[in-house]
Amino acid sequence: MYIFHKAYEYLQDICFIWRKEMMQLIKDEGVIIFFIVVPLAYPMLYSWIYNNEQVHEVPVVVVDMSHSSLSRQFVRMCDASPDVRIAYFAQDLDEAKSLVSRQIVKGIYYLPPDFDTNLFRMQQSVVSVYCDMSLMLTYKAIFQTAQMVSMEMGTELKIRMSGLPTAREEAITTKPLDVADVPMYNPSAGYGSGVLPAVLVLILQQTLVLGIGLSAGTARDENRFRHLIPINAPHYSRTIPIVLGKFLCYFMIYAVMGTWLLIVVPRIFNFPHVATWQSLLTVMLPYVIACIFFGIIVSCLVKYRENVMLVMVFVSIPLLFLTGVSWPQSNIPSYWQGVSWLFPSTFGARAFIRLNSMGATPADVATEFRILWIQAGAYLIVACLVYRFQFFLAKRDLKKYGG
Amino acid sequence: MLKYLSQIYHIVLRELLIIRRNHIYGFVLLVFPLLVIFFFTTMLGDGLPVDMPVGVVDLDNTSTTRSLEKRLDAFQMSHVVAHYPSFSEARKAIQRNEIYGFLYIPKGTTDALLSNRQPKISYYYSNTTLAAGSMVMKDMKTISTLGSAAVGMATMQARGLTDSQIQTLLSPIRVDLHQIANPWSSYNVYLTTMMVPGIIMLFIFLISAYSIGTELKFGTSKEWLAQADNNMLVALVGKFLPQTLIFLALIYGYQFYVFYVLHFPHLGSPWMLVMLGLMQVLASQGFGIFVFGLLPSLRMSMSICSLWAVLSISMAGSAFPVMGMDAPLQSLSWLFPLRHYWMIYQICVFNGFPLIDAWFHFAGLAAFLLMPWLVIKKIKNAMLTYVYIP
Repeated sequence: MYIFHKAYEYLQDICFIWRKEMMQLIKDEGVIIFFIVVPLAYPMLYSWIYNNEQVHEVPVVVVDMSHSSLSRQFVRMCDASPDVRIAYFAQDLDEAKSLVSRQIVKGIYYLPPDFDTNLFRMQQSVVSVYCDMSLMLTYKAIFQTAQMVSMEMGTELKIRMSGLPTAREEAITTKPLDVADVPMYNPSAGYGSGVLPAVLVLILQQTLVLGIGLSAGTARDENRFRHLIPINAPHYSRTIPIVLGKFLCYFMIYAVMGTWLLIVVPRIFNFPHVATWQSLLTVMLPYVIACIFFGIIVSCLVKYRENVMLVMVFVSIPLLFLTGVSWPQSNIPSYWQGVSWLFPSTFGARAFIRLNSMGATPADVATEFRILWIQAGAYLIVACLVYRFQFFLAKRDLKKYGG
Repeated sequence: MLKYLSQIYHIVLRELLIIRRNHIYGFVLLVFPLLVIFFFTTMLGDGLPVDMPVGVVDLDNTSTTRSLEKRLDAFQMSHVVAHYPSFSEARKAIQRNEIYGFLYIPKGTTDALLSNRQPKISYYYSNTTLAAGSMVMKDMKTISTLGSAAVGMATMQARGLTDSQIQTLLSPIRVDLHQIANPWSSYNVYLTTMMVPGIIMLFIFLISAYSIGTELKFGTSKEWLAQADNNMLVALVGKFLPQTLIFLALIYGYQFYVFYVLHFPHLGSPWMLVMLGLMQVLASQGFGIFVFGLLPSLRMSMSICSLWAVLSISMAGSAFPVMGMDAPLQSLSWLFPLRHYWMIYQICVFNGFPLIDAWFHFAGLAAFLLMPWLVIKKIKNAMLTYVYIP
């Protein structure tokens, strides 16, 4: 009977703290911003920023020294491509350069005077492409369009020059081996579809950690000795109920916000969403749990409520890089790989992208799934230890200064 | 005049004491920024991703196809890590995060190639990591084109064409690419120069709001103003002078390290770097003070500053260009100091064009620098009358 009584007491403590924590959150506008407003608004803002996915019609200036029908054909074909727009014709390279300098165009196509004569002499013609390298996406658009057009025109020219009897023979001579280019999962190479899933997973962790840190800071501000735990208060006598009670409160909020971030947002804004909600739930459950305990640990380390912002906000950007979404995971230096193991977001984002963008099964992300559970367990233990230490501090100060 | 200088001097001393006593300043003014500089320069140290894992599905398995695979492996970006028995095995390997792409060679490719029946090979690559996808694609495309050219060359040589004629027949028009200022298309040059200043701006925003707000929080605001004889300008200059100098030292240190030790390209003059660093610090402090004046509460102003700073990384338009965004966003991008900073950097430092071509963005930063004027009265009022509510 004793055990049941004890368990009942624990349960009562947990529920009391759960309720109390919830009431505190609702009153705290700083926490509301990070728990509710940011997760609601940020995905929409980011979706808006990236909703065009690609850059089309990048302005380019042409310097046509050849003035031939071939050079004009080249220019026409570039202009007709989706990615490049011929915005200006310049007399020489200096004029073209001044257009780049004034940010009117992002690149230069230079067709030399011997552009067509070379070809009639059976010599290779050259198109010079000058790219402003400050933007990778416009550089790619300008370069790839020039390459594509030169290849297309080249095929036409080859057929004319080779003088073979049948069309099939011509096709085979110019291209003995046919090649198909098949991009998978995000076939249009959209920037938003590539980056946004990881950003969503990261928003979940960062808002959770910031919110928990802020609310712990409030608890400290209201405490006489700047501790996390009220002294001699009913229901605040054991470690585990405190940690679990807080956990339940945050989990309740993030069950909703997590669903919004990871399931609803990709569907509304049409980012890749091939995973079923069941498999997302399986893998993202340990992620949210790990994030919550991680947040509880971080919240114990900061002294004043605002300091958590100074520490956690800037970390978001390196963390995004550590997920391997903008810089390939295989090329992250090993010591940073090691650091990335500390954060749930690394594995949460990797698992989420593979499930939701690439159609992997939960079995394919088993490694990440296991690590997330290990993180969740380890952070739970550390969170309990840290709170245990808070008790020690509280008792020490109580002895020192008296009740 | 002398009176003002001595007041400022005393407030500076007071501020230095605060910075020494509250350890978070040490972290935000020095430790975290250095960590960020170290992070980005080492993370992207390779410049371009090298030796990315790719796979091969070779159903033909002849010496011709194997030599193709060996050549793919020899490329700088790709490293053939595995051979898979079927297409679906290889696709699963991508989903398990083992490879970024694979080359698929169907059965009978060599036969068809030798008997002039134009066989077809394919390459598949994952675009979920855009950098990896496009690099792996580039290698596999080159290797397939080369494979095709090698066969064509043999027949043309047999027909007695000269080398230059063969070259013309294989590709009549060649694209001669000039990647101005970043010929290696290094991601370190491209990303570090936006990310690091962006994060330093984040720190300046936050610490500016924080250092005014904590005067309220710790109840020292009246003492601060009293030292300045309730002259808000003197109080602000005194308070922010030490921080400005520390951040300037930090930014010049960063610029020296990146442009002179790591030798990032910078076609503009060194004076442009000096000017840009100064404008960056002052404009960011202006923004931080302005936000605090707008919402004189420590918590709210810091939340706004951090949300704004994180958004500005996207709105700077260096990863995804502003011209690709919707029209309203193109105008909204003016509200982010980082956007103006990056434009000046890109025009005047990276490409080395004259400052006149970036005059608008220079004016933008100057406007941020002057923004505290609008709220200076409100801050004074807050300092003298508000009581901190936790």
